[in-house]
Amino acid sequence: MTTRARGHSSAGPLTYAALALVTAVSLFPLLWTAVAASHDSARLARTPPPLWFGGHLPHNLRVAWTDAGLGLALANTVLVAGTVALGTVLCCTVAGFAFARLRFRGSRPLLLLTVGTMMVPPQLGVVPLFLLMARLGWAGELRAVVLPALVSAFGVFFMRQYLSGALPAELVEAARVDGAHTGRVVWHVVLPAARPAMVVLGMLSFVQSWNDFFWPVVALTQENPTVQVALTGLGRGYVPDQAVVMAGALLGTLPLLLAFALLGRRITGGVMQGALKG
Amino acid sequence: MTATSPATPTTPAAPTTGTLPQDPPASRGARLHRWDVRWGPYALIAPFFLFFAVFTLLPLLYTGWASLHRIELTAPERAEWAGLHHYARLLRNPLFWNALRNTLVIGVLSTVPQLLTALALAHLLHSRLRAATFWRVALLTPYATSVAAATLVFSLLYGRDHGLVNWVLGALGAGPVDWQNGTWSARLAVSSIVVWRWTGYNALLYLAAMQAVPDELYESAELDGASRTRQFLHVTVPSLRPTILFTVVVSTIGALQLFGEPLLFGGAGGQKGGASHQFQTLGLFLYEQGWFTYHLGRACAVAWTMFLLLLLIATGHGLARRLLRKDG
Amino acid sequence: MAAGVPRRRRTAVLLAVAVLLLAGPVGCAGAGREKGRTTTVTVGTFGVFGYRQAGLYAEYERLHPGVRIREEVVERNDTYYPQLLTRLAAGRGLADVQALEVGNVHELAAERGEKFEDLSRAPGVRRSDWLPWKWAQATTPDGRTIGLGTDIGPLAVCYRKDLFRRAGLPTGREEVGRLWAGDWRAYLAAGRAYRRHAPAGTVFTDSAAGLYNAAVHAHAERYYDRAGHPLLTNGPAVRSSWDLAVRAARDGLTARLRQFEKNWDQAFANGRFATVACPPWMLGYMQEKSGPAGRGRWDVAAAPRPASWGGSFLAVPKAARHRKEAVDLAVWLTAPAQQARLFERQGSFPSTPASYAMPQLARARNPYFGDAPIGPLFAAAARGAPTLVFGPREQQIGAAFTDVGIPQVEQQGRSPRAAWAAARREIENAVDE
Repeated sequence: MTTRARGHSSAGPLTYAALALVTAVSLFPLLWTAVAASHDSARLARTPPPLWFGGHLPHNLRVAWTDAGLGLALANTVLVAGTVALGTVLCCTVAGFAFARLRFRGSRPLLLLTVGTMMVPPQLGVVPLFLLMARLGWAGELRAVVLPALVSAFGVFFMRQYLSGALPAELVEAARVDGAHTGRVVWHVVLPAARPAMVVLGMLSFVQSWNDFFWPVVALTQENPTVQVALTGLGRGYVPDQAVVMAGALLGTLPLLLAFALLGRRITGGVMQGALKG
Repeated sequence: MTATSPATPTTPAAPTTGTLPQDPPASRGARLHRWDVRWGPYALIAPFFLFFAVFTLLPLLYTGWASLHRIELTAPERAEWAGLHHYARLLRNPLFWNALRNTLVIGVLSTVPQLLTALALAHLLHSRLRAATFWRVALLTPYATSVAAATLVFSLLYGRDHGLVNWVLGALGAGPVDWQNGTWSARLAVSSIVVWRWTGYNALLYLAAMQAVPDELYESAELDGASRTRQFLHVTVPSLRPTILFTVVVSTIGALQLFGEPLLFGGAGGQKGGASHQFQTLGLFLYEQGWFTYHLGRACAVAWTMFLLLLLIATGHGLARRLLRKDG
Repeated sequence: MAAGVPRRRRTAVLLAVAVLLLAGPVGCAGAGREKGRTTTVTVGTFGVFGYRQAGLYAEYERLHPGVRIREEVVERNDTYYPQLLTRLAAGRGLADVQALEVGNVHELAAERGEKFEDLSRAPGVRRSDWLPWKWAQATTPDGRTIGLGTDIGPLAVCYRKDLFRRAGLPTGREEVGRLWAGDWRAYLAAGRAYRRHAPAGTVFTDSAAGLYNAAVHAHAERYYDRAGHPLLTNGPAVRSSWDLAVRAARDGLTARLRQFEKNWDQAFANGRFATVACPPWMLGYMQEKSGPAGRGRWDVAAAPRPASWGGSFLAVPKAARHRKEAVDLAVWLTAPAQQARLFERQGSFPSTPASYAMPQLARARNPYFGDAPIGPLFAAAARGAPTLVFGPREQQIGAAFTDVGIPQVEQQGRSPRAAWAAARREIENAVDE
């Protein structure tokens, strides 16, 4: 996927300078998180603020990992985001296929309903969900945040758009004529064709679930948190040691940053592909 | 919408049809087949709509019902009919209008610079670049940073007494700013977190759309002697219109739901959005009404009001119609 | 096709993993299932109560073979309490023993009293063990007691001896106490004296809201009167405490900080203020934030008027799984001997006067705070503290002053009149349904 410069000149020094500036702004807060996490809070309480690394990083990371429960939080978040990503991808792929290539009564209104609720703010369902989870005895448990996140109207729409383009109707017809039932068509025709989009959707869902904030903060407690809930607890706690808070922020961000660094091209490609289809 | 069409994997799927095992042809099979054609699609959408019904639709309806009742968190099983009381009370509540105003102000402060910068960045990225992937990944890293982590760092940077931003301002000869307590400074600070997190992401969206613009458009523009700036304004931007519209809508929705950034920026009493609620958004207002003053019914009314506002905005954008027109 | 097979297999693996992951969280239902005759009693708290750290759970388990204790800690009461309320309503997910914050206990007794065990009848409970006002806080008008008192927050004033000396003020804790005895206005007068010779970069006290809290808690009737009628913004205690706080802010006696925020911590580290109204539970926090540099500089003197700020209770919901065991545990944990041990380890001040004579308190000195005799000092404040009258939405009303009204004057420079109106609006919004 090399970018052909379509009649565009190659970048001049000004372009590089501008990009370097924006990149610096993008990376500085993250870098400074690490710097702040490597001092003690007394140092952070002095002016000028530290601009280079100190020696407290291991200690602060250890405190954040054990006392603030970032270790448990990370494990929980991987579980939650992984389940959400897989569940979303599966649900949305089959539903997207149905909307893209199958004819059935009510498909149009159902699709409209789906698209329409894409903009329902998460706040809207919070009160009833909270009460529902209490009634089911799920409040504070991971499934309380997993199950509601499996619904992604965006995902259905995304897969529908993708499959409308990538899966020729004739292919489905041919399989049908051969006598394949729906399940078989999905397994042998749809899933292979949808794979690239599934990867993109899975990735987007994973990142979104990892960073999901509102509902987990309401539904979970620091007792059994996701990373976001644990960080919120750190940030709003009664004994907030700023250096430890920064170490927690670092721990909570590092896994995704590493993934971005390792899979950079795939991820940027995925985001861009998601753009075109969304 | 087909920038990657040569790369889309329609081809690898084709041969697999040959490997499909055959069903035994029989009249029973034909009946089954008809039954499958009729009901198969519903089976496929069932998992989605099951979750959708339980976790989106029902809560939506329940919230509407609850917004017409007096329900307190202290005894949430008791609901007492209240009619439109909560809505009428909201319209008279200065704190609600304040939250609405803040949401709009912070929305504009965060969306406009974000999208303009993203557009310019995409333009830069669209030239022939060394290490193109590096720049893209670097610009996307804020997107990988969570709301919580980003906000915690920024609120330390914006600290009044020992923050880095004030230290830099001091070095430049400007007085220290009490970022959290000032009205506009707090809104700016919150907006800056949103801008920081989303600019790179939007830039990549624009870049993808730019790459999809047919070469011929640029070639003919070049033949007409248009400068690069003119090409940008008269070829690129018009071709990007659907993407721009999309990002505007998504950012607007995001802005209306803004919650985590102001909550954590506000520290321990974050749900108030500052001592004079100077950065309390609708999302925070809802949270405060429901979980800090225990008026669940009123919180539901806030939620529905937000929903209606979004519908209003979406209708304005004609979003649904536009998206659905993209049928192949 | 060669590529087709592994791809399909991979999809199958993905599907399998998905199913497993989905089943995982659903499958592992609530913990705490008993094996044999061991009963696991759960204790739900907000913040660190310190029972585990003080070894009290371990000892109880030793005394009662067959009982195991599991603690479920939520960091903040403002997430803990809503969850407790919904669980009470649902009758599910409750811990066997639930901690209650003093600001919520009246509301719970009045509105959810029927959901809790009446602990006044529990075996081994002697009402006379507790300070009368502490007992009264958790008791309904018809005489049911839903919570047993744990700690309380008798107030003192922590002050910096070194700064006082340089400002020309007395430094001995007796003299300092006499400086403002009886009236918080005398405390402000001392503040003005401090300001005249204040060491550079320091001010008299940390926060106007902290001062308000200290002053208002010395009055029995604050937001409600004894008959249960709302006073809200009309009570004399609120008005006088407000005037005091606003006066301090406008006279520049405060460092314009909010307690428990990072600026406050940083100001401790940098020694930016000379006094702070301090309950015993704050001492550990101050020591941590001030660091080694503060050792021997801080001291503790009596507050102008005795008061108690903060404190908690232990309650047993009727829906608890192990009610009897839970009651026994709550009674044991709140008994005078255990409260005294908790004070020694954690600094939580007992609500049971019988503890005050025990060696852990009577001989308690805090080396960081200049060997101050903190046991007798705080005990005097505890005995003198009034029986606070509580009402519904207590916390929200207090926050309208400490988080909205007073910071508006102190930190945003608004006029007291406008800030008072804002606090009123805040209260109307909170109280009105």
